[in-house]
Amino acid sequence: MGMTWITRLAAGARVPVFIAMGDGAPAAALTLSRHPGLSVVDTPRAASILLVAGQMPDALIPYLHRLHDQLPHPRATLLWQSPPIPSLPDAIAVDADDDIGRAVADVFAAVLEGKRASAPDILPDAPPSEWRGVGPHGQGGKGMMGGTPYGRPMAMTDDDIRDRLALDSYTAAFGPFLPFFPPGLVLTLTLQGDVIQKVVVTHPPFDHDGSPLATLLNLLGLPALATRSLGDRADDPVLRRLIQLSGARFAIPSGLGRLPDGSDVRTRFDRMTGAAPDAASQDAGDTTLEHLLVGLEWHAAMLVLCSLDPATLRDICKNSDTGDQDETQGESESEMHAGHMS
Amino acid sequence: METILTLAGIFALTLVFVVGLRAAGWSDFAGPSTAPQQRPVLGGGDPQTHAWQRFHARYYTMTLLFVAFEMEMMFMYPWAVIYVAEGGKALAEMGMFLAILSVGILYGWREGIFKWE
Repeated sequence: MGMTWITRLAAGARVPVFIAMGDGAPAAALTLSRHPGLSVVDTPRAASILLVAGQMPDALIPYLHRLHDQLPHPRATLLWQSPPIPSLPDAIAVDADDDIGRAVADVFAAVLEGKRASAPDILPDAPPSEWRGVGPHGQGGKGMMGGTPYGRPMAMTDDDIRDRLALDSYTAAFGPFLPFFPPGLVLTLTLQGDVIQKVVVTHPPFDHDGSPLATLLNLLGLPALATRSLGDRADDPVLRRLIQLSGARFAIPSGLGRLPDGSDVRTRFDRMTGAAPDAASQDAGDTTLEHLLVGLEWHAAMLVLCSLDPATLRDICKNSDTGDQDETQGESESEMHAGHMS
Repeated sequence: METILTLAGIFALTLVFVVGLRAAGWSDFAGPSTAPQQRPVLGGGDPQTHAWQRFHARYYTMTLLFVAFEMEMMFMYPWAVIYVAEGGKALAEMGMFLAILSVGILYGWREGIFKWE
């Protein structure tokens, strides 16, 4: 395949990159969205390059596989300050002192020109398991709730915690590569509509700082200010003034996500933006994620998660249900079906 | 003759449109969709249950109230025009109609429409 006019056009554009943050990701990974040649996208569906920054713990490798396969073709993976991953033999290693923008652009051009083959899927091209209904031909079940279409059981009803209406609940693992999640955090959430019913910490967040203010500003719909706050520029008085003028703090409900030390999301936001004096440290006490998140709607829960500083969030995750004790046979069986087979 | 030509033209355009859509679907722009690519994007996580689920339309009580009052208005305007001519019969008919609609409002009352939450 030669360089057609359309690939030439694509090669001239900013390279769409999705960043998978690992443990000990280089500090430059956090400010990559300011790089002029790159466009850091929020979803793997919009990316051509998967950039694995930092070391990926073994527990998160299956998650990385699922993420990798969701990038559309043509695609390539770069490992930035990350040891080689056996299941990604085609991935290109980038050292700490290499110019990451140059490396990404070169790989992107090579993939578009066809000099480099697009990375194949890691997972087999098969549904997680076969359709299993109750009928003799694998069909049907009880009304809408029957069978196991494509390896996942149908949602069953559960009592809504707001008004006890019996409605369908949806259980899924969220993270660790969601742009609005602290790096490394995997939560198995049970949702009804967008209300969180149950929280299990499947993997705790990594031991590094991330960019909580930028994430919070993005969630509040201020992407330009979020990009501006990246790196060590959060103390810029102009930026602080702009954040104050935006009125973002009034978009945060007061009293949301209150910790034992009395701080809520709004006061923690004020501390981050310098509108309130820094407290010595947040005190998680014996707060669990269940206390903080259960009963909240999705947007409120995400504000709570992003407002906590990483050390406090790790303390809270230690207090919380990690799903080891009450793992029943049925749950682990359904996980096996829904999961991953490589 | 002109009509036939117009129809043939529309038919030809439809054909071009459909063939164009199919061709675009087979082109490089739409890559193969494999089973791993059909998973929902959860940042690497995986769902345990199917996404086909029932939501509660919590605004239904407000809808009920809106429909009840709107139906009242819809029939009361024409009714008001002929009321003087028809007299007591029209009054009885409107009374029956309002009685049926008020059952809906009473039901809504029981469901707590009028409580501000």
